[in-house]
Amino acid sequence: MNGAVVEIEGLRKRYGAVLALDRVDLEVRQGEIFGLLGPNGAGKTTLISIVAGLSRATEGSARVLGKDVVRDYRFTRRAVGLVPQEINFDPFFSVEEALRFQAGYFGVKLTGDRLEEILSALDLTEKRHTNARALSGGMKRRLLIGKALVHDPQVLFLDEPTAGVDVELRQQLWRYVRRLRERGTTVVLTTHYLEEAEELADRVAVIERGRLVLLEDKGTLMARNAGQRLQDIYVALLQRERAGREAE
Amino acid sequence: MGLGLRTLLVKEVRRFLRVPGQTLASPLVTTTLYFVVFGWSLGSRLADVEGVPYARFIAPGLVALGVVSNAYLNSASSLFVMKLQGTIIDILVAPLSHTEVLTGFVAAAVVRGLLVGGVTWLVAGAFTGIGIAHPLWALVMLVLAAVAFAALGVVTAIWAATFEQVNFFPTFVVTPLTFLGGVFYSVRMLPPGLQRLTMANPVFYLVDGVRYGFLGISDASPLWGLGILAVLAAGSLSLAYALLASGYRLRS
Ligand SMILES: Nc1ncnc2c1ncn2[C@@H]1O[C@H](COP(=O)(O)OP(=O)(O)OP(=O)(O)O)[C@@H](O)[C@H]1O
Ligand SMILES: [Mg+2]
Repeated sequence: MNGAVVEIEGLRKRYGAVLALDRVDLEVRQGEIFGLLGPNGAGKTTLISIVAGLSRATEGSARVLGKDVVRDYRFTRRAVGLVPQEINFDPFFSVEEALRFQAGYFGVKLTGDRLEEILSALDLTEKRHTNARALSGGMKRRLLIGKALVHDPQVLFLDEPTAGVDVELRQQLWRYVRRLRERGTTVVLTTHYLEEAEELADRVAVIERGRLVLLEDKGTLMARNAGQRLQDIYVALLQRERAGREAE
Repeated sequence: MGLGLRTLLVKEVRRFLRVPGQTLASPLVTTTLYFVVFGWSLGSRLADVEGVPYARFIAPGLVALGVVSNAYLNSASSLFVMKLQGTIIDILVAPLSHTEVLTGFVAAAVVRGLLVGGVTWLVAGAFTGIGIAHPLWALVMLVLAAVAFAALGVVTAIWAATFEQVNFFPTFVVTPLTFLGGVFYSVRMLPPGLQRLTMANPVFYLVDGVRYGFLGISDASPLWGLGILAVLAAGSLSLAYALLASGYRLRS
């Protein structure tokens, strides 16, 4: 397993005429924060969905901790936490109920301590008995993050977790993500806020039109482009990709 | 039963109990109205059917109708709304097998169906007496019917893109077949042509078999009802399972 927590091999996903993923190979290493970047429609959510079991690959394979996500789904789903990009909530239940149910689906009985910890990390303690419908947009997103954490996953996928979250809470979330990593959780993060990836990621990958166009240690990447922000490097990379395609 | 399945079942049951007005009180009101009309107001003018007062004769069919329509509605609307609102993700990312997901939705729907059926029979009992001729038979029939229709609800919810499609089946299939399936009359009261037509209606055997369970009288052999329901339940469960396993419209 050479420290790889997620191994993706030759992954393809076709939606009708759209090739959302085109032979992607990559590995996410134990304990890192992996920044998955790319423009709208690049295939980030598709990739994450396949690993989390929400969607099935057309070709290729995805493994979590060495196990195939289709064949050994019980094992891999227990190891994975997913914060989906799209906000969803069940208007029938409160914050606490939503967290308890989610833990239950994973076969986990949520202890009082763990519940308190999650609620306070996401600043939802005061809202624990509030119906999910009555939360603000940012709070709903934080509830999604809480639901992804209830079973203490080894790998956490955060699909644009900070969209619509205010500055203060965003920084609080960053701190929490770092704390998770210190405890050994591997984090895969997609975001359109490049400063977020710059701040948090150990390695960054860029996909564009379903193809992996960059995968590098963030420190090395930044050193190679001394004086530039990640955002500039990223934009220049995408422009080169586009120019390359047009030249073909 | 694993904690995962238990949680899904508890959540589904609590969901319909959160809106008791819609899920329990509304069938209660409807049934009460039926019995007020047919039991009290018209009852004295209506002849007995097969030796049973009319209000008592129609009660088992109304119980069956309440059971199947509520079982169907529960799984269909719950799963469809989850699909629409995206909360289905909660279940799709969890380490639940297709069998567990199906069992959770179907079992909760059966609970709601039987609760409504029970309430209906209690209301009927207030007018016509509560005694049941063959309680075990009645229960088995109703459970099978609830399972069959709950599984059909799962199938519809997976397939449907709009609420209209979810409502199509109960409105255009179940209700007509039930009303023409001998809830309100004995087939023996019909001319021979209509009798044969009725015999081709599967819901007739459901109503007839349930009536045998409650009242001890039936037009056909109650074994027919049992057999047809068992086949229907097995068929709709298999179809629902196959759809879940294929990922159709859920795991795109
Ligand atoms: N269920 C689906 N049916 C059909 N096409 C889809 C589906 N999901 C995604 N696609 C297509 O696949 C491609 C990749 O989409 P995906 O959601 O993975 O992009 P993304 O990188 O997450 O983009 P964003 O940054 O906007 O979230 C897009 O062209 C999208 O239209
Ligand atoms: Mg996306």
